[in-house]
Amino acid sequence: MNQDMKDLIKWVVQTAQDNGSSQSAAQLYKTREVNIRYRESKPEIVKEATKQGLILEIYCDGKFSVQSIPDLRKSVLGDFIKEQIRNTLYLEEDPFRSLPDPEYYSGRAMVDLQKADPDYADFSIEQRHQKVSEMETACLEKGSDSFLSVQAEMIDTYGESMSLTSNGFEGEDEGTSYSVYTEITIRDEGARKPNGYFGGSARRLAGLPDHQDMAERTSKDALDQLGAGKIPTERLPVIIQNNSSPRIFSGFLSAMFGGNLQQKRSFLLDKKDQKVGSDLFTLMDDPLLVKGLASRLYDGDGFPCKTRSMIQNGILNEYYIDWYYSRKMDLEPSTGGPSNLIMPHGKRSVRDIMKDLGRGILITSFIGGNSNSTTGDFSIGIMGQLFDRGEIVQAISEMNIADNHLLLWHKLIETANDPWKYGSFSLPSMVFDNIMVAGT
Amino acid sequence: MESISRRKFISGYAAATGAILISPYLSDCSQFRRDMKTKYFESEFGIDQTLCRKLLETALSRGGDFADLYFEHTTTNSLGLEDGKVNLANGNIKLGVGIRTVKGNQVGYGFTQILTGESMESAARTASSLVNTSASPVSGNFSHPDLMNYYPTDPLSMEFPVPSKIPMMQDLNDACFGLSRYVQKATVSFMDEIKHIMIVTSDGNMVEDVLPMNYLSASAIGEKDGRTERAGWNIGGRRDFSYYDDSVIKEISGKVISDLSKNFDAIQPPAGEMPVVLGPGVTGILLHEAIGHGMEADFNHKSVSIYSDMLGKKVAESFVTIIDDGTMDGYSGSLNVDDEGTHGQKTILVEDGILVSYMHDRISANHYNVKPTGNGRRESYEHIPYPRMRNTYMMPGEASSEDVIKNIRHGVYVENVGNGQVYVGQGDFSFYVPQGYLIEEGQLTAPIKDFNIMGNGPKMLENITLVANDLVMDNGGTGYCGKESQRVKVGFGLPTCQVKSLTVGGTKKTGGLS
Repeated sequence: MNQDMKDLIKWVVQTAQDNGSSQSAAQLYKTREVNIRYRESKPEIVKEATKQGLILEIYCDGKFSVQSIPDLRKSVLGDFIKEQIRNTLYLEEDPFRSLPDPEYYSGRAMVDLQKADPDYADFSIEQRHQKVSEMETACLEKGSDSFLSVQAEMIDTYGESMSLTSNGFEGEDEGTSYSVYTEITIRDEGARKPNGYFGGSARRLAGLPDHQDMAERTSKDALDQLGAGKIPTERLPVIIQNNSSPRIFSGFLSAMFGGNLQQKRSFLLDKKDQKVGSDLFTLMDDPLLVKGLASRLYDGDGFPCKTRSMIQNGILNEYYIDWYYSRKMDLEPSTGGPSNLIMPHGKRSVRDIMKDLGRGILITSFIGGNSNSTTGDFSIGIMGQLFDRGEIVQAISEMNIADNHLLLWHKLIETANDPWKYGSFSLPSMVFDNIMVAGT
Repeated sequence: MESISRRKFISGYAAATGAILISPYLSDCSQFRRDMKTKYFESEFGIDQTLCRKLLETALSRGGDFADLYFEHTTTNSLGLEDGKVNLANGNIKLGVGIRTVKGNQVGYGFTQILTGESMESAARTASSLVNTSASPVSGNFSHPDLMNYYPTDPLSMEFPVPSKIPMMQDLNDACFGLSRYVQKATVSFMDEIKHIMIVTSDGNMVEDVLPMNYLSASAIGEKDGRTERAGWNIGGRRDFSYYDDSVIKEISGKVISDLSKNFDAIQPPAGEMPVVLGPGVTGILLHEAIGHGMEADFNHKSVSIYSDMLGKKVAESFVTIIDDGTMDGYSGSLNVDDEGTHGQKTILVEDGILVSYMHDRISANHYNVKPTGNGRRESYEHIPYPRMRNTYMMPGEASSEDVIKNIRHGVYVENVGNGQVYVGQGDFSFYVPQGYLIEEGQLTAPIKDFNIMGNGPKMLENITLVANDLVMDNGGTGYCGKESQRVKVGFGLPTCQVKSLTVGGTKKTGGLS
């Protein structure tokens, strides 16, 4: 952020204090986003924009509001701040609403997380077109007569922000991200048109998946779905492919949040320090991972970030508890939400695991479904392949898995050697035993 | 080009921030309606025809079939009650313009949050970068068509003042606790939004609208005999404050506690293929996922929808008629005008079992050489419009709801639906059922909950075997549809309806088909 922005955020916080706010926290942000999509060997979408804004938290003796506004001129912000303070006073007092005790701000790590690509500014629009065009071409070159549609897309973002509170917190952040995606739709029997896809994100261009690899995996994902159908309902071992692993874990994660715990919406209430999964269920939260997509030096409360062992050999070590809910629950805060989540990976490939597993399902993607954070029950639609001793038997569709998270993670019997590299959740393919798979 | 004056920005934002909790700006409500329906962007931000024409000329300066401008000024406010106190307010202001240049099915798009001539010109140049031919013309005159009004809002009740919202939310909280001794926690939220839009097209259309959107919701956590369960419900739509009377509080709290009580007694849901009966109302999400998305024309003109070869063909029994309708007073998906300037309308998708129309935006309508159906929608000025659903429902049949159930020996009855998803190419869809019942020997028996149902759209359409005469439109306000990373508000409706066979994703294995 330039000096003008630094001066502006100080002025915002000071203006809030001058107009009756007992405490305030402000964040200024600016982002630039470029989105290019190719289809039929020409650009289908070319989109580019910059955004900016202010997010302002006002605390008036236990009364709290947060509002955002895109216009950053002082002439506008002055009235905005006064109005927000006036309106905050209508709310009911909550003794737990306050900025954190400043002692919690100290201890920030002095490391360069390398979140911003130094070459971002030199990445021209023409180069973006070329990259996306090459992604599409690589997919088209995998083509067969059954290909109906091929699409390639990239979205890249540059963002910077600055945060300041009235009780002494200051922070600046800067980062880039690139996301790429390819999709191939093919013709199957009847009217079915399966589509395969592959996508990934990285802080730097060099961290993205290779065009040829994307094309190979997208094509395979589509072709693997040909002739999909249901199999009989039965209990089977399932392998959840690495890029789908975050989806199944998200149901467990939601129960780790302070808000859900305090509101009794969590099946993990009173489960801290208890066994909630098999010995293979280990999870680290690492906000200090260099070039990590969710890396950060401080969290939303301004707390310095550190690596945390959330789950170790099946034992739940920590919850995600922010300042507000820590006060409501009379607990020490940890951090409000996850950063980069890392699960240790195993030694064998999915293919090798399948050979030893007998009959089972390889889940390549989920469809719909949900998880009840209060009870842990979940039920999710699946797509993938039925295998038997390492051989693919058939593609499956219109099928479902269901269980309870308090039981599921005890059934984690192996993790593969393939941690997902293109997202903030670095989870490997996971093998679960004895899962109810609903079909015919 | 002239910058927007300071006064105009302050005026706009004072109104916006005022509306976050109380809206002094709206005290002269008749003025509010008149000003906001016509020339709002001109009076508040200096956006006149001359400026619009210049921006459109820039957007088409390198060619293109057409261009459009989408101006938006939205204020969104929400209040939250937790642990007995209305102790959280959130507010957000959106102001900006999205500028689109279209050539065939190619789109160039730029947007800006700053409504200065320089910034908007830059966005128009970004949009124009898609093509590189000679300039295309912009219409010499802009027409201002009159719109029908599908938002039943009384100008005198357009305010949502906090002094009224807080006791209403407290009453709902108290009602939840008062109806059941098992309630341990309750949360209540109220959201209200006013969106001003103006769409200006290069072929001479200039139209403005003001879209209200609001809802009241509650959820409760209860404990009974060592079992903890949760239930929630909401009511809303394109309403005004007078809509939220005691009957709404009674309906929400009654539904929350009724569902919570059923959840305490719910047994494990079955797993496998079996007949499914969808109760009336919010279960219309089934249509949205199983059929609706596949009938959005962009998927079809790209040949990536399972329905792309089915236009004009029989897809269901003759008693099945499915409609997507933007003209229903007050429902979440209703639109006086879509986000491309096409008037709100009603579109029959399946008529007497025949697939008769897709849902179109301007691009797909041009591809199919038909008129746009008013389905061109976008989340905000930051987003490109696509064909999207509005309120999607099935027309009632002739059977009674009892008839629909009585011939099933073993199946499930779906009472509520939480969410769903579809893969439009495969046609495979899912929807999640937070509440339902077992059907045994033609009767509803034990409550079941938290299971997913899987199916395939065209197969499901063929398998609709009975439709009752009890169509109910869901009056919820939180329902939205996600597509292309955009959310838009939608509505649902369904009469009680029997599907011969779907896969029920429970945990308890049962026998085969009834």
